[in-house]
Amino acid sequence: MIVSIDPRSFLPLHTNWFHILLSLVGSEQHGYGIMQEVLERTGGTVRLWPATLYGSLKRLIGGGLIEESEERPAPELDDARRRYYKLTRLGRRVLDLECERLEEMVRLAHKKRKQEAFG
Amino acid sequence: MKRPWNVCLSLYRRLANAYPHEFRMVYGEDLDRLGEDAVPEAWRRYGFVGLLRLLADVAVRLPVEYFGEIRQDVVYALRVLARSPGFAAVGVLSLAIGIGMCSVVLCGSNAMLGPLPGAHDPAALVTPRRHVSYPYFEHYRDQQRIAGAATAFLVSVPFAVAPSGDRNARTERFYGHLVSPEYFSTVGVTPAAGRFFSSETEKPGMAPVVVVSDRFWRTYLNSDPEAVGRPLRLNRQLATIVGIAPQGFLGMWPWNPADLFVPVTCGSSVAPELGDDALHRRDLEMFSMVLRLPHGMTIPAAEAALDAVTRALDRQLPDPDRDRDRPSRQLGLIPAGTIMFVTPEARAFVTSFNFMLWAMVLSLLCANLANLLLARGSHRRREIAVRLSLGASRARLVRQLLTESILLSLAGGLAGIVLAYWIAHAMSSLPMPSQTPLRMDLRPDFRVLAFTLAVSFATGVVFGLAPALSAVRTNIGAVLKEGAQAAPRGYRRFSLRNLFVVSQVAASLMLLLATGFMVTGYQHTTRLDPGFDTANLSLFSIDPLRDGYSAERSEALFSKLPDELSRVSGVRAVALAGGVPFSNLAASQANTVVAASTGEGDSRQVWRGVFRERIGANYFATLGVRLVGGHEFDRRDQQSELPPGTAAPAVINQTAARALFRAENPIGRRIQEEGATYTVVGVTHDVRSGFFAPRPVATVFLPLTAGWFVRSRAPRATVLVRGTAGAAALTAVRDTMASLHPDLTVFNVQTMRENLDRMNSFIQWSSAVYAVLGLFALLLACVGLGGVTAYAVVQRRKEIGIRMALGAGSGQVRRLVLREGAALIAAGSLLGFACAFAIARGASSLTAQLASVFETRAGDPLLVIGAPMLLATLALLACYLPARRATRIDPVAALREQ
Repeated sequence: MIVSIDPRSFLPLHTNWFHILLSLVGSEQHGYGIMQEVLERTGGTVRLWPATLYGSLKRLIGGGLIEESEERPAPELDDARRRYYKLTRLGRRVLDLECERLEEMVRLAHKKRKQEAFG
Repeated sequence: MKRPWNVCLSLYRRLANAYPHEFRMVYGEDLDRLGEDAVPEAWRRYGFVGLLRLLADVAVRLPVEYFGEIRQDVVYALRVLARSPGFAAVGVLSLAIGIGMCSVVLCGSNAMLGPLPGAHDPAALVTPRRHVSYPYFEHYRDQQRIAGAATAFLVSVPFAVAPSGDRNARTERFYGHLVSPEYFSTVGVTPAAGRFFSSETEKPGMAPVVVVSDRFWRTYLNSDPEAVGRPLRLNRQLATIVGIAPQGFLGMWPWNPADLFVPVTCGSSVAPELGDDALHRRDLEMFSMVLRLPHGMTIPAAEAALDAVTRALDRQLPDPDRDRDRPSRQLGLIPAGTIMFVTPEARAFVTSFNFMLWAMVLSLLCANLANLLLARGSHRRREIAVRLSLGASRARLVRQLLTESILLSLAGGLAGIVLAYWIAHAMSSLPMPSQTPLRMDLRPDFRVLAFTLAVSFATGVVFGLAPALSAVRTNIGAVLKEGAQAAPRGYRRFSLRNLFVVSQVAASLMLLLATGFMVTGYQHTTRLDPGFDTANLSLFSIDPLRDGYSAERSEALFSKLPDELSRVSGVRAVALAGGVPFSNLAASQANTVVAASTGEGDSRQVWRGVFRERIGANYFATLGVRLVGGHEFDRRDQQSELPPGTAAPAVINQTAARALFRAENPIGRRIQEEGATYTVVGVTHDVRSGFFAPRPVATVFLPLTAGWFVRSRAPRATVLVRGTAGAAALTAVRDTMASLHPDLTVFNVQTMRENLDRMNSFIQWSSAVYAVLGLFALLLACVGLGGVTAYAVVQRRKEIGIRMALGAGSGQVRRLVLREGAALIAAGSLLGFACAFAIARGASSLTAQLASVFETRAGDPLLVIGAPMLLATLALLACYLPARRATRIDPVAALREQ
């Protein structure tokens, strides 16, 4: 039995989850890779410590937002002992919705600011 | 700087290793590796702070992961329990009944033996075993070294209470304590309003004052904020309310609650009990005394010191009579700071019997729960094997099974608490067999509830652990290959499970027999079969003394009242009596000493432990009891003044006649009681007299005269009215009383049947409680046996299949299954039988009352043979159902499953 899950039920997305999902857009990643990418992308402001990272990964898998990837990178780049993760369709949808939500929030904030500036 | 880095890594590894098994299975290696990468990097980027944050992260997530798993376990357990509602219902119900019963038993103990509410340091309060005279009390009180504080008082003192305005207003009856001024300071109570008594404020001859209970203030005084200072009429005399007792304080022994506290200095006009110079007479030993022992003073030391005082006082005023009749003048102190006044022996009995009952119910419950869980564990071995093969750790599975049993036991515990509240509520609203209102507050208190929950939790853990461990010690391969029927490791005839069943049958039989003894014993010894027609017999009480009647008016009232009421239409006969027939509460009241002259000289037969009842003319005719010989009292016998030289008449029952005169004819013989001589004029049948008396007690009936009534300050006189069938005699009688004697309060109006029902209701209720306990034992035993037999059938499915394939008939298969059950039942019954008799013997040695109950029942064939037979029959039936299922096993299917 397939149960369709409403992607909106995950919103607003936890910051850590958002960064993990964002790291997996377009490429599969292992835990260390996710950690490094988040660190670089945020200029060192968001750091996913190991236990937090794997706790989040476990819950994201449980929620069906990501899954373990069967595909491995090129052998010279592959660390056989590492697990790779990728976005599921649901995860992708949730991320999109979260981005839209954030954009809407930013838009509202800008609007308010403009009103203040002119008013 | 390699050191902190290494230490951090080692700590990190340790913490990461402590993560739940399932988490580690999936993420363990990654977590370790990431840590190895992250430690040097964190050190490089953030220094010490980085290492600390890394460690904090892994430490904080650890309980979160465990909590997540526990939550999963709980959700899974709830789902599993919901899938097998039968198992859940039996488990929760049996736990609820058992735990509910246990907490009621504990509450019962607490209700009687709990500390006195409202008192300061109640453990320091002691009371002598016997009553003392007021002058002696004053000497004891003055021994500051022995008694830090002391008070003397009279309990259950009736007062006719009326508002202060109208002197002839209708009175209401309340009970109170007549207390020495030190009462409240000794008990250690502070007033809610106004003041209490003290030796400075309470002096003889001062205007009467009264302290009222909070309950009285709320009901009778309508919570009047100006109540302190208001006058009130007590026994027609004005008394000023000076204080209100704190909420919940109903006197020294709340079992006999007091609403009014009147100082003994008020005089005999307010309290007739104080007549005859009661405060100055050394021979009137009628006061209860309570002492507060100073810190460090032990009971034996206080006893010895008080005995020295008693001896010194006795020497000052030798009294040969007193010394002859009282073998011991020792005070014998016992703890007094409990709700109910209990002797240490009674306390030992109550606590040990309740504890025994409690332990039996609890052990039965635990055995049953263990059995249920064991049998269930065996059913789930395939599921467990699958989960084990998929990588679940054994610890995790044990935890899962434990979660289920703990959930079950907690649900049972909560349901048990609800049940306990319900039982306690029903029990505390029981009508009690006494003229003095007894109140039982049996609501479970916080400690009992906490204890009950702790016990249910422990039951879940302890009795969930063994089956859980047994279930996970499964040979995975064999189970997966053979299905649920594979024999678990360690399955054998004399297994833990069989031991549980034997102990369960034993505990059930023990409980069944013990409760059976109690139920039938109670029924036998206390069934009030009065031996006369109770239909159309009504009674009510009057108290002319406290309604302000003088001795002369009382005399006139007693002589004309029966005539006045006999003329009321629908009334056939009327008689007066001192007390209510059959209301003597305990055998301890049969303390009258009667002596009969057996001829010339000094030789006389002395009989102690005789009931004494005061009755008026026409008493036996009104009750409908025939006399064996002689005649009963007539109108002339009710006169207080007898012609000089004549002895007052007495009627005795057959037991008394046998005790005092053996085979001789007692009519016309003389008996002495309390210094007075009586002539026996009649002998009655042995009508049961007394509530807990297993055998008829020797009873002497003396004439109820107004002189005696006033002199003895009896708390009431009872009027018995026999009406004609169908006539509303009681209403007419009440109307007549209101019109002829408007200033006389009529109270305790009831029919004889109501009166007997009220007394029987307590017995029926306690019997019902024990019967429910017994039935519960039976039910649990059957559930347990049925479960275990069903389990055995499942275990032996293959064997049964082969036997049937080889030609065994269904009868043979049934026998095979039943044989094992029967052996367990027999072993359990034998053990239970032996234990039940050991318990009966032990309990009998504790109290004479119980001994008489067990004595009469231990030889009862209905119980001794019936109880094991009933248990065995039901238990065999419980085994039979799975046995019949075994015969339906299809041999081909059973063998194909292999």
